[in-house]
This record gives sequence, C-alpha cells and structure tokens, in this order.
Amino acid sequence: MTAVAQSARPRRRSAAARAVRSFLRNPAAVVGVVFLASALAMALAAPWLYPEDPLSMVARPYLWPGQNPRYPLGTDSLGRDVAAGVVWGARISLLVGFSAMAIGVATGILVGSTAGYFGGWIDDLLVRVMEVFQTAPAFLLLIVLVAILSPSVDAVIFGIGVVTWPTIARLVRAEFRAIREKDFVTAARGLGYGHARIIFVEILPNALPPIIVTASVMVATAILMESALSFMGLGDPNQISWGSMIGSGREALRTAWFLTAIPGVAIVVTVLALNLIGDGLNDALNPRLAERE
Amino acid sequence: MSGRLGRLGRFLPALALAAAIGLAAPVSEAQAPKHGGTLRFVMPYEPPTLSAVNNTSTPNTSSKIWDGLVTYDFDLNPLPQLATSWTLSPDGLVYTFKLRDGVTWHDGKPFTSEDVAFSLLRLKAGHPRGRSTFANVKEVQTPDRLTAVVVLTQPSPYFLVALGPSESPMVPKHLFEGVDVATPPGPNLHVGTGPFVLKEWVRGSHAVLDRNPNYWDKPKPYVDRVIIRFMTDAAARAAAFEAGDLDLGGSNPVPLSDMARFKANPKFAVDDRVFAYPGSQFQMFFNLDTPILKDKKVREAIAHAIDIDAIVETVFYGYAKKSPSAISVALAPFHDPSIKGRAFDVALSNRLLDEAGHRRAANGFRFPMRLLINPFIDARLAEFIRQSLRRVGIEANTERLEFGAYVRAVYTDRAFDLTIESLSNTFDPTVGVQRGYWSKNFRPGLPFSNSANYSNPEVDRILEAAAVEIDPVKRKALWFQFQRLVFDDIPSVDLVAPIQVILANAKLKNYAPGAEGLGSNFADAHFVD
Repeated sequence: MTAVAQSARPRRRSAAARAVRSFLRNPAAVVGVVFLASALAMALAAPWLYPEDPLSMVARPYLWPGQNPRYPLGTDSLGRDVAAGVVWGARISLLVGFSAMAIGVATGILVGSTAGYFGGWIDDLLVRVMEVFQTAPAFLLLIVLVAILSPSVDAVIFGIGVVTWPTIARLVRAEFRAIREKDFVTAARGLGYGHARIIFVEILPNALPPIIVTASVMVATAILMESALSFMGLGDPNQISWGSMIGSGREALRTAWFLTAIPGVAIVVTVLALNLIGDGLNDALNPRLAERE
Repeated sequence: MSGRLGRLGRFLPALALAAAIGLAAPVSEAQAPKHGGTLRFVMPYEPPTLSAVNNTSTPNTSSKIWDGLVTYDFDLNPLPQLATSWTLSPDGLVYTFKLRDGVTWHDGKPFTSEDVAFSLLRLKAGHPRGRSTFANVKEVQTPDRLTAVVVLTQPSPYFLVALGPSESPMVPKHLFEGVDVATPPGPNLHVGTGPFVLKEWVRGSHAVLDRNPNYWDKPKPYVDRVIIRFMTDAAARAAAFEAGDLDLGGSNPVPLSDMARFKANPKFAVDDRVFAYPGSQFQMFFNLDTPILKDKKVREAIAHAIDIDAIVETVFYGYAKKSPSAISVALAPFHDPSIKGRAFDVALSNRLLDEAGHRRAANGFRFPMRLLINPFIDARLAEFIRQSLRRVGIEANTERLEFGAYVRAVYTDRAFDLTIESLSNTFDPTVGVQRGYWSKNFRPGLPFSNSANYSNPEVDRILEAAAVEIDPVKRKALWFQFQRLVFDDIPSVDLVAPIQVILANAKLKNYAPGAEGLGSNFADAHFVD
C-alpha cells in the first residue's frame, strides 16, 4: 500500500460514517427514505398482492373507490383494478427511474472524467458533444428517440439515459478539473500510476458527493419523464405505469377524477421522497456543513 | 270579419298549390330560417390545406368553400349542386351533366364545363381515392359552356356517388392549372363556388370563412360567418363547448365519457346519427402470412374470444353499432343484416385453439401475437382486444406506433400478426371495401390495401363483377355473396361502426342535411332563437 492510499482511506471511511449519522438526524430525509422504501416494497410485493395481469378487465367500469371492497381504489374506464395498477405501476416507475439514472450516471462519469482529467482537445471535443445534447430540448429529444425505437420499457430507459447524461458529465468534468491539480493527484502521478487508476481510484471517490446528490434527483426526473411519456401514449402499451394511468384517466377527469388523482399522488409521493433524500444527502455530504458540527 | 275571410279565401288556392307541389316549400313562412350569426366549428386537427382536392382528411372543411357536382340525401340519392341534371347512357359508359348557369368563383370568374373537366381529371391524378374511383374516366368532353360529358372505359356504378363536395370538390381551372398535383393548396388557392369564402387563416388557431353574398342557392347561406377552430385536445374542446365558445364539432368532439353530461345540458344537442357517406367501420385484419394464422380454426377461435357487445358498451360508451360483416352497417344499402357475427364464447375459443394443436404452456400462454392499432382509433380498443386474447391464452402484445410508423409496419414491412384498422367503407363498397379483400390489391407498400394478403378467386370474381354491374339489384346480390364468403373465410373480424357523435349548440339547426354529415356545406345551417 502506498502512502497516498493509506492516508486517504481511513479519512474517507470516517467521513462516510459521519455523513450517515448526519443524514439520519435529518427528519425530512428520513421521511423521504420511508416513502421510497414503501414504494420499493410495493413494487417488490406486486406479484404476491395482485398475481393477475394488472391490465385485465376484472369488474364493471368506473367503480368509485370504496364502492366495492374488492376494488378499494375503484376501477377505470375498461373495468381494470386501479389498486393493482398503482402497485404494478410502482415497478415500472422505479425500474425506469433507477435504470435510466444508472445509464445516465455511468455515461456522464465516463465522459465527464475523461474531459475533465485530460483537458486539451479531448475536453474541447467532449464539451461540444455535451452542448449538442444540452441545447436540444431534452423532452423533445426523448420523444423522438422513443418514437424511433418504438415504445417499450427498454427504449424509454435508454432514451431517458441519453438525454440526462450531460448533466452528470458537466458536473463530473468540473469536479475533475478542480481536483486534478491537487497535491495528492500530483503525488499519484509521480508514483507512476496509470490514468485509469488515477481517475477511478484517486479522483472519482473525492468527486462522489455531488454526483450522489444529483443522481438521486435524476431518479426523480426519470420517473417524471417516464410518466410524461406514458401520459402522451408513448410508453410501453403492454405495461401499466402511473403515467399511462393518468393518461387514460384524463379523458374522464370531469366524471371520475380519482382515476387521475390516485396515480398522481403516487408520483408526487415518490418524486418528493427522492428530492427529500437528495436534500438530505446534500447536507450530509457537504464538508462545510460537517465542520459546523 | 268578411274582410279577413276574404284574405283567407285568396290565400287558400295558394296553400293548395303548395300542397300539390308537395315538398317544394318544406318550411312555412313563419319558420323560414333567419339570417345572421357566427357558426364556430371545431376540428380535432389542423390540416395543411382546407381543400379536399388531393387528400381525404379535409371533407368537413373543403365542402364549405368548394361545391361538388352533386350532393346526397340520407339514402345516398344524388341531389343537384353544381350540376342541375344528369343522364347515363344505356351502356353505362357516358354521363352527361347539365351545369348550373350563372355560378361564379369567389374571384368573380364564371364557372364552366372547362372547370369540371379539369377538376375530374385532377382528382383522378391527385386524390388518394380519386385515383381508383375515377380510374375509368377516359375523357371529359365539353361540348358547350354548361355541358360536361364524362366518358368511361367501363361501367362504374359508384361514379355518381363519388361526386359530393366533401369527396370531389370542383376547383377553378384558371387558378389550379400548373399547380403541382400533390402539393396541398395554399390559402391563395382557396377559391371555390361554395357558400363560404376564406377570409383569413391563423395557423395553429383558426380559419375565418365569410358568407358568400353571391352564392347561387339564394337566400342561402344563412349564417354570416363560419369560424373553424383547430383544437387537438378533447378535454380542451369539452371545456370550450361548455364555456360557450364553440357551436359544432364532429367525430367525437368531446371525450365519450363526457357525453352523458352534455346530453343532460339543454344548451347542447348530442347527435348520434350514422351518416352513410363516410361508411365508418373498425375491423381487425389477420396477417395470413403468419403461419399460426393460416389455420382457419385459430382465426375462428380469435373471433369467438371477442365480445363485440361489450366493446360497444365499454370502449365506445354505447356510441357504436355492432357491425360484424365486411360491409358496415353504416353503409345500409349494401350491408347484409343476416350476418350476425360469431358468438362470444370463451370455452369454444379455448377448445378450438386446443384442437388446432396450440396447448397452453406453463406460463398459461399458447403463442404470442403482435397486435397493432391504427393510431386514429381509441387505443382502448386495442387494450380491450389484447385482454380478450390473453383470456384464451394468446399472448397478445400491443404495439402502439405513430401514424407513419404504423402504416409502414402494416403495409410495407408487414411486421404484424393482427391489426385493428379503420378501413372506412366510404360511400360505396367498390371504393371502400374492395381494397381490403381483393387479391390483386395485395400490394406491399400501398397504404390501406389488402393487409391480410387474403386471396379467394371467387371473391375476386365477385368484386370485379360488382365494380361494373349497373343493375342495382344484381349488384346488391353480388355484395351479399361477397359478405357471406368473407365471413366464412375470416380474413378479418369485423367489429363496430363507430358513431361519429356530433355535438351542437341546441340553437343551431340543419348543419347536416344529408348523407355527408358535417361534410355538407353548411349553407342550410342557421340559428333559431
């Protein structure tokens, strides 16, 4: 083990423990975790709670919530169980949210770190590419992508990943430009470490806090984007999602508002939870706030 | 007293005369429509042009500006419009039209037989349906200013039904000559002989049509102005109606789920008549190139798995008619009412699929099917059919594509197993139905052709005979034979004729006086107090 690594690792571990403690002391963040955990639990339990296809027509259309105890949240215009839809919809929303975030973050880190670390013409080139993506309206680009790929869950995940990675890439690039001049990086370079090792083992861990915060918000954004797509009828028609429930319920907004309100509440709660978690992480991972303790 | 009687006495012969003429004066003096008012008509999309000269998406706007040679009563009998009378030669090959005298275009130039000849040939060259309906037009002779003689290569019994203003507008030769046939005519070419004149068109919002004071059918039109508003969102249209901003809209102007609310409101009239001219029909075609679907038993099983009555009630909220034959119930003169469709029977469907050798696998499904839907149809119909098929163990997967991609997938790439189509029957089965079932019209790349790749020599023979049969009785018999054969072969499951509900201001009358529905010219539309 080298001197650089020896000095860095224990410091990082204690910082992580401090961040977790600080995060758990934040009531808003804990509420966020609880909400998100319930959505996750719902998504995981869906096959046991509602083993039937949530798209099957099971009862009379337009049953109001509470009208029939078998369908506590009522039925939609084709007689599909709204409660089953909400539970199964959680799966799609969270799957899309986290997968799209993973694609966006992975691409963003790769491009951003390369640009920020190497600088020069590589940086110039990659920044131009990012600008191309950032100047195109993200949602329009997403619609075009999904329309070309034909609507399916995979296409939606890929599309959201493609339109969101520049955010992470710019952030990572800025962090790398600041950190690459630090003494420990110069030291690592002096020890003859390869570029990949310096990027991933030395610089990246130090750039992580803002990435984590942004990633949590990106999940929320991805969920909203998926809902908006499904609302417009561009989601996967073979999967029920909260957005598609709102889209099909919207027609009956005046006569059966619960069809839009119930999945709407589910989206609000989940997105709010992710934002609360993001805020909590931001506070917990911010070293300047930590010094005040 | 005697004076009053005397006046009445003088009046009586006049009344008797009116009665003798019959319906010459259908409205009495007291009910004569009053002039005035603005008719605000909503369209669910904004077309690139208001003219139907080279597209089929603007019948409801085109007919206000451009007249046709004839128009139709509710039973598709032709009534004079720009043509005052017409005759057909005994061999069925020569139509002679006498044209109305004194008609002028909106720019003041006189309307003549030259314009008729030009328009018919232009429709033959550039109109998506005109290319087939007028395919037999060999030439149009113009012996004098007010006579047009259409010479056909073979009898075309549907010819006279294709001349309505919503389908075949008469356009001015002096303006359209030299203009590219395929380009949507711009506002400067919006010059017709019709009851309304285009005044302005604000893209993305509305078009204003003013009353044509020189219209040949005096004292019509009655309203001073027609404003066509383009609003793509059904919920927004419903709000605009309720706010009193709209007077009229067709093709389900508001969500069907809202219709009950409008029905209860005395300010509105919900009009659910079925008009013959569009011949609306929704059907599901099988791709007969899919190996599993080559087996008629499988197609029969699929037909038995679909509950059409439930579709009418849930998907269409009752605003559709069960239409289980290849010729729509909307096209009453040709529809065979003895075809009742296959009974909804899940057990029978399951048994047929078992017999066909497609047993359920461990996951409950027998085989997958790609189910497509024309995006102009309510997607809930696809969801309904998807679930109906899954109930009998067919793993139907819906693919919802935008219009261009849909047409390419079905008609060019043939990347589908089942497709829910709205192959409208139009005003005549030779024009609207033949294209879907004629083996010679299996032409990959041609939209709305024979997507099933259905081929039955006997059906081909009947279709070809019906296309040239000018005896109405014999022709009807041919179409009945056709429907029976297609029903037995099952290249398609015919579902419903959607009712294109019209929502109108209760004070607006006579907006749809014939078979063309809202594709009529609004000359008769008027407001009452």
